[in-house]
Amino acid sequence: MNICIMMMRSGANTKRVIDNINRFAKVLDFESHALISHKSIIMTLKDLKTKETYTVVNQIPGYTIDFTIVSDISRASWKALDNNWSYEKINNRLNEIKNKKKYPLWIILLTVSLAGAGFANIFGGDLLNMGVTFIATLVGLSVSKFLHHKAFNPYIRTYISSVIASFVATLGIIFNIGSDPHIALATSVLFLVPGVPLINSFNDLYNNHILNGIVRFVSGFILVLAIGLGLITIMLIFNINALN
Amino acid sequence: MENIYISILIKSLSAGIAALGFGILFNIPRKVIFTVLFLGFLAGLIKFTFLNLSFTIITSTFFASLFVGILSIPLARRVHKPIVVFSIPSIIPMIPGYYAYKTILAIRKFTFLTVSDSEHQTLLNSIFTNGFMTLFILFAITVGVSAPMLLLGKDMARKLND
Repeated sequence: MNICIMMMRSGANTKRVIDNINRFAKVLDFESHALISHKSIIMTLKDLKTKETYTVVNQIPGYTIDFTIVSDISRASWKALDNNWSYEKINNRLNEIKNKKKYPLWIILLTVSLAGAGFANIFGGDLLNMGVTFIATLVGLSVSKFLHHKAFNPYIRTYISSVIASFVATLGIIFNIGSDPHIALATSVLFLVPGVPLINSFNDLYNNHILNGIVRFVSGFILVLAIGLGLITIMLIFNINALN
Repeated sequence: MENIYISILIKSLSAGIAALGFGILFNIPRKVIFTVLFLGFLAGLIKFTFLNLSFTIITSTFFASLFVGILSIPLARRVHKPIVVFSIPSIIPMIPGYYAYKTILAIRKFTFLTVSDSEHQTLLNSIFTNGFMTLFILFAITVGVSAPMLLLGKDMARKLND
């Protein structure tokens, strides 16, 4: 069943994935047991009528966070349980969810850059700092999206985006734009922070999916390191060392 | 005095916008866009108010994310969506980016530049203060936002997802 893979890569926590599979299995008169790890899923389905069992091992492709999918599948699973959907109906609904329209790229770019500017404001920057962060985020995110399109390794992608975003923000320090250009540099890479894996990792940990929780934590931590490395690279090149 | 309130309002508003931006990045359903904006704004409002009342940043972050966690539950029921869809984007503006940045700056100076002993000590101090600040704010966020969900258990979850 593809449901599991779809949910896992869209950024659902392990417990939610298992709950949802169980619900779908119940509708179709199956009993399901699954072992979910970061890269693959092993699942056994038992037909309650014929007592036959099927076991499937499946790979999980790269992760892209998509809360619409998580939310829609969750919803569909309850509806299926309540209205006793057939296999075809579930399949149709899943395809519908899969092909749902995403936000257009320019809206994503615009709002995330605005978010960056918002960050700059939260940390006490003035309008000019916000402007610098806006542009840095815009450039960084465009690069990140482009590399994602080219199917780069996520860690390398984060590193490159971090280098580029902080490079743009560093221009702000060199030309001394705004009251505290360091704020712009600090906030320019925040859009890369892996908030969802980190929060999901804690979620998994106290639902006793310890292994998955640790895996998510480590992968999130490597992403944070990649961001930090990107920052350090730029700082070394331009020799920025003001500490305030 | 009024100035403080206005600056709190503006900061909270930018928190809301930041939350919205991340929501869009995670492709949240269209229905919850305003919910995320609103929750992010409220979280910012609470955090900055507490900070203004001279609570520490860790405590104020904890209260703000706890509030998001609690408020998410009735909201989830109203819009028929899983809680994580809007609770995660709205707490992301509270991520301690500036502390993390200062930590990295200090580490970089500590390892790459040759400095005197006394300077090393101030740098160590800076690494540890800012590093632990970052860590504990992160803890405050995750615990605060997920505690209400955990305490309510499974029966509630069934009702919420209807």
